[in-house]
Amino acid sequence: MNIPGAQSAECPSRSRNLQRIAEPLLWFAALLLLWEVLLWLLDVPLFVLPPPSAFLWRLVEEQERLLLHGLLTTKMVLYGFTAGALPGVALGYLIARSRLAERLLYPLAVFVQGLPKITLAPLLLVWFGFTDLPKVILTALVTFFPMLVDSAAGFRSIDPRLYYLARSADASRWHTFRHIELPSAAPSIFSGCRITVVVTVTVVIVVEWLNSNNGLGYLVLRAMDAADTPLLFAILVVGSTIGVALAYAVDLTERLLLPWRRR
Amino acid sequence: MRDTAAGDGAISPARGGASIRVRGLSKTYGRPPRAVHALGPIDFDVAAGEFVSLIGPSGCGKSTTMLLVAGLEPMTAGRVEIDGRPLTRPLSDVGIVFQDHLLLEFRTALGNVMLQQQIRGLDRDRQRARAAELFARLGLVGAEDRYPWQLSGGMRQRVSIARALVHDPSMLLMDEPFGALDAITRTQIRHDLELLWLDTRKTVLFITHSIDEAIGLSDRVLVMSPAPGRIVEEIRIDLPRPRPAHLGDYPEFARYARRIYEIFESLGIYRFR
Repeated sequence: MNIPGAQSAECPSRSRNLQRIAEPLLWFAALLLLWEVLLWLLDVPLFVLPPPSAFLWRLVEEQERLLLHGLLTTKMVLYGFTAGALPGVALGYLIARSRLAERLLYPLAVFVQGLPKITLAPLLLVWFGFTDLPKVILTALVTFFPMLVDSAAGFRSIDPRLYYLARSADASRWHTFRHIELPSAAPSIFSGCRITVVVTVTVVIVVEWLNSNNGLGYLVLRAMDAADTPLLFAILVVGSTIGVALAYAVDLTERLLLPWRRR
Repeated sequence: MRDTAAGDGAISPARGGASIRVRGLSKTYGRPPRAVHALGPIDFDVAAGEFVSLIGPSGCGKSTTMLLVAGLEPMTAGRVEIDGRPLTRPLSDVGIVFQDHLLLEFRTALGNVMLQQQIRGLDRDRQRARAAELFARLGLVGAEDRYPWQLSGGMRQRVSIARALVHDPSMLLMDEPFGALDAITRTQIRHDLELLWLDTRKTVLFITHSIDEAIGLSDRVLVMSPAPGRIVEEIRIDLPRPRPAHLGDYPEFARYARRIYEIFESLGIYRFR
C-alpha cells in the first residue's frame, strides 16, 4: 500500500532548518555592522543613537538587572495573557454555539475592543495603585477580543454534520466538546495566541512605565532619566527577545498538541 | 434475518438489521411566509436486513429523508417507526456515512473509527478487534496511523464506512457516500460494500443519484420526484449477488436503468430530443 506523505523527510529538513536559522542571523549581523560603520563615519553622539557595540556591551554589563526585570515583565505577560485568553475562548465558544449569546455578548465585546485601552491605565492606577493588577487587567483586556474572534471563527468552522454524528452516537455535551469541538477549533485558537502574545509585551511595558517600580518599563524610565540611550536599546533587545520567545513557545506547544497539522 | 446467532468473526453481527416504516412523512423548512416545502408526504418500508436506495434529482429531499429517519431533524408531519417503535429522539443504533467522509482531521484513521467507542463508552478491546477486522475487510491495513490528509479519497470513505459499522449498529444510513469519488474507485468500493453487507445484513438506506449504484447495490430502488420529493416508483432489483463490476452483463440491468430514465423523463428531469 502506497500512502502519500508516508516517507520520512528527516535528513533534508534538518539541514534546511539550520539554513532557516542561519540566514536571518547572518542578515542581522550584516545590518548591525552597517549600522556600526555608518555611525562611526557620521560621528553621531552616543545619546542620540548608540552603535551596536555600545548597547550590546551595555546588555552584557547590565545582564543581571535586565534578566530580573525581563523575567518580571514576562511573568506579567503570562498572567495577563492567560486572564484574557481563557474568557476569550470561553465566550468565543458561547457566541459560536448560541444565537442568544451572540446577540447579548458580541456587541459588548466589540465595545471592549473599541476602547482605547491605554487610557484606562491611569484609572486602573487610581483603583489598584502600585500593584500588579493594572498590568494584568490591561493585558487581559487587550488579549481578550482577538482571542474571542479567532476562537469563535474556529468553533464556527465545524461542519454541522459532525453534530449529527455526535447526536447519533448519543454524545454528551462534554464528549462533543472534548472530542470534536475543541480539537477542531484548536488551530484557530493557536493562531490567535501567536499574534496576541507579542502585542501583550508592549502593553505590559507601557503600564510598567506608568506605575511600577519593576519590569522592563520601569527600567526604560530609569534609562531615560540617566540619558542612557545604550541601555534603552539593550532593553529593546530584551523586550523583542521575550516577544519572539513567547511566539516560539506558542508554536512549539501547537506542534506538540496538534501533531496532525501539515507543515 | 433477525437474531441470527453471532458468529466467531468480529464482523458477524450480534443482531440482524432493524426494520423501517415511514408513513406520511413530510418536511417544511422555515415559517409560513417563507416556508419551503422540501419533502413528502412519503410512505415506504424497509424490511430488516434489506438494502434500499432512494434515487432522485438534487434537492428532491433524499438527504432530508435520511436525516428524518435518523431522528436528527424534526419532521413536520408523519411518523417513522424503527422495529415497530415510533421514533421520538435521535436514533443511536445506527451508522451514518456522508458524502465527503467527514473524518476528523486531527485523528488518525483508527482514531476516527475509535471515536465511536470513546463517545459511546463501549468496551475498548472488543471495539479495537472489530475495527481491525473492518480495516482488513475494507483494504485499510497499513493506514491505521495515517491522518485523513494522508489518505486518498476512496480510502477516506472506507474509513468513514468502518466508523459507521464499528459499533455494530442494526442500520446503515448512507448519503451519497461515493458521490465525490472517481468512477473507477466508485465501482470497487461499491463491490466491497456489497460483500460487507452480504456478510452483515444490516438494513441499509442508501441515498444516491447514480443509477448504476442504485441498481448495483439494492434490493429495491425508490425513485423520487423533484422537490417537494415524493416516491413515484418502486423497482425491485432481481439480480444475483454479488453483482459484477460491469452491470451491463445482465439484460435486466438495461431494463431497470431504462425504467428509471423513463421516469426521470416523464418528470421533466431529462429533456432529450
